[in-house]
Amino acid sequence: MADRARSTAAAIPGGLGQLVAELEISRAWLVDPAAGREGPGEIVVRDGVLEAITWLEGDEAAGITPAGVIVAPGFIDLHAHFREPGFEDAETVATGSAAAAHGGFTTVCLMPNTSPPIDNAGTLGAVRAAAAASGSPIAILVYGTVSAGRAGEALAALGELADAGAAGFSDDGAPVRSAEVMRNALLYAGMFGLPVIDHPEDPGLTVGAEAHEGLVATILGLKGWPSAAEEAAVARDIAILADVLLSEPRARLHLTHLSVAGSIELVRRARLAGLPVTCDVTPHHMALSDEWLAGARGFAWESAAGATDPWRGGSATARAYDTSLKVNPPLRRPADAAACLAGLLDGTVDAIATDHAPHTAVGKDVEFGLAANGISGIETALGLALEAVVAGRLPLIRAIELLTTGPARVLGARLGRPVGLAEGGPADLVVFDAADRWRIDEASLRSRGKNSPLLGRDLPGRVLATIAAGRLAWADPELGAQE
Amino acid sequence: MGRPDVSLSVDHLAPAAASLPGDGAPGQALVPALERPPLAAPWPHRHLLDVDVLSWPEIELVMQTTDAMGEVLRRPIPRVPALRGRSVTILFYEASTRTRVSFEVAAKNLSADVVNIAAQSSSVSKGESLVDTIRTVEALGADMLVMRHAVSGAPHLAAEYFSGSVLNGGDGWHAHPSQALLDLYTLRQHLPGGSLRGRKIAIVGDILHSRVARSNIWTLTAAGADLWLCGPATLLRGFESWAAAWRTPAVPGAPAPRGFHVTSDISAALRDADVVMALRIQRERQAGGLLPSMREYAARFGITRERLAAASPEVLVMHPGPMNEGVEIAPDVAVGPGSLITEQVTNGVAVRMAVLYLLAGATETRRG
Repeated sequence: MADRARSTAAAIPGGLGQLVAELEISRAWLVDPAAGREGPGEIVVRDGVLEAITWLEGDEAAGITPAGVIVAPGFIDLHAHFREPGFEDAETVATGSAAAAHGGFTTVCLMPNTSPPIDNAGTLGAVRAAAAASGSPIAILVYGTVSAGRAGEALAALGELADAGAAGFSDDGAPVRSAEVMRNALLYAGMFGLPVIDHPEDPGLTVGAEAHEGLVATILGLKGWPSAAEEAAVARDIAILADVLLSEPRARLHLTHLSVAGSIELVRRARLAGLPVTCDVTPHHMALSDEWLAGARGFAWESAAGATDPWRGGSATARAYDTSLKVNPPLRRPADAAACLAGLLDGTVDAIATDHAPHTAVGKDVEFGLAANGISGIETALGLALEAVVAGRLPLIRAIELLTTGPARVLGARLGRPVGLAEGGPADLVVFDAADRWRIDEASLRSRGKNSPLLGRDLPGRVLATIAAGRLAWADPELGAQE
Repeated sequence: MGRPDVSLSVDHLAPAAASLPGDGAPGQALVPALERPPLAAPWPHRHLLDVDVLSWPEIELVMQTTDAMGEVLRRPIPRVPALRGRSVTILFYEASTRTRVSFEVAAKNLSADVVNIAAQSSSVSKGESLVDTIRTVEALGADMLVMRHAVSGAPHLAAEYFSGSVLNGGDGWHAHPSQALLDLYTLRQHLPGGSLRGRKIAIVGDILHSRVARSNIWTLTAAGADLWLCGPATLLRGFESWAAAWRTPAVPGAPAPRGFHVTSDISAALRDADVVMALRIQRERQAGGLLPSMREYAARFGITRERLAAASPEVLVMHPGPMNEGVEIAPDVAVGPGSLITEQVTNGVAVRMAVLYLLAGATETRRG
């Protein structure tokens, strides 16, 4: 701890939410994907402004490696659920913002599947008011629903939502079932240059589905959730987008939480064809697999290729049917996780998005088939991305890009700020120690949702400080910030 | 000998099948019957959630313990005090006659106190969660919990909260371990040499929704049988991935670890089969769009005398019950030569006595 404190700052003056009066970070590894640059350096923040960036070279840089303190632009999450209004026992905008800051995020986009759903400007305004009242400097962007009441039938008040600042439109939690509604939503949202964010799932193929259809679900007796349920929806959405572009060239489609190899390939081809389609992958679909349902706990990239099963391989170390692993879309085969990782690497996938989905014990401490879908993941996203980096599967700068400039491109003008380590602007950055593993447990998670399959595990990348728009959003208690 | 001599430790159980003391003498029925040479280790499993965790020596031990229990059952008063003072709670969330009664008879034969809870008649119907129910059952003094539930994995959740032993009496589509063990026991009694090695066994019917099929896949293939699963393609979904995984040798070139095939060709499945096990076809599968009609199923997959002509002349016929006679199995086949269907029920009691006995020893070991 002492070493780390020396390499950052003895203490961060001012409390959470306050402008950072002065912070010098010396001898750190700076990562700036906006400039395509990483290396040893120092930064100075004064009165909330990133006053100076110095890249070190030669002797000055000696001994500074990426396996230490890293400074990067603040992370942007395209997909989170803060549950307010309606499900405040699982999360609120305030607790979610605290969790986000602890995860290194300075901007979070909230899904509108609240109760009531955010299908009108008034509800959207209430969520933004809750964000302002929370005192957190985290920027909260809000999506409006695609359909009124998320019922999938009539368009929501897209124009009013856009005027009120909606960052895009999504019926997330459910797909836009009707192809006709999807077509009209793409057309209408295109007028505002805003994306429709679809949760791609053909609901006819997922009635009662519990786990990815394959070896593990078959052995565990869980109803299969076929890959085709996602691929069919992705193919449909892309076909509709191509059609819509003929009359509304500003139409944009974003596909969230892609999980299977076939979907990644469909998006890859659509982008080669020049279609304005973007997509994201969650940390858990990149790093975990359905083998975890059988009790395995190895990362997906550690699974041997070919037809293996966790029973025969002897890799099952935890109990089966852990409901913290129940998520929509389900955890897939290791080969699908590998395809997601390949997409993250080659640029097919634009962003790592957490799909942070906190739930109470009431929703999770039940039989697997009755458990709520979702993983509380906004605090473990960086750790899982770093595990891929440590394993040599993802370059550090690409991992940071997927958490910063990648999602920024998806959001476009709605983000309202540049992303990168640039002198003279408000400091918006995260400082973390890639070498410091921290224990994930119910006490260390700031989110109300303790539904993480990583509880009890140590992940790399303890976040030392998160500064959003010049203000302190998170400081590790050992750094001595005053709350 | 009195009660203190009734050891619950499996140290006193052995692979031998010597006759039990007190056989045939009513006055000696309460004499502890299970005095055997010691084993190397006590029964290591606190719960019986599925057969997948059982090693082959452990399965052999269940078989041999079942032999001993079978001898108890042949006594005029088929009762031993092995579980006296133990409370066995039978918690069934799904309708069942034979499994529930079989466990109840088994527990009573071992002198356990038995509490029966049918989910419809308890506070479960008022919305109580499974976890609360388990806590309540434990607070009421249950040592062992026999549980059936419609959701796969529910006993795994119960086992997290219950400090005694959980015996899975069937969970969703997942597992029915006592059924698989009694099927194995019944087959060993009737196959020449008592071995399943190389024997072709066809399980025909609704494989997709069958916990009986899933548990039997583990035990029958472990016993060396050549297992064939057969049914309409809609009711086999996902199983080819399982079979393929188990046909793949761990080391290239090595023999396939397990004989495991999946087919919707009924003639291929039945050809030269030594054993045919029919599974129940439920009407809701038709309503769910998985089958065009029950009539079509019966015509294409029903186990009839004509179809069985292609099997081994000594083919054995099984069914876990309850049967839809005339759908998955013809009435004359169900009661015909080679049918083991009623014997499965009889052996069920002995097998369940054996697993209750073994798990009681494990629980005692843990608490000691």
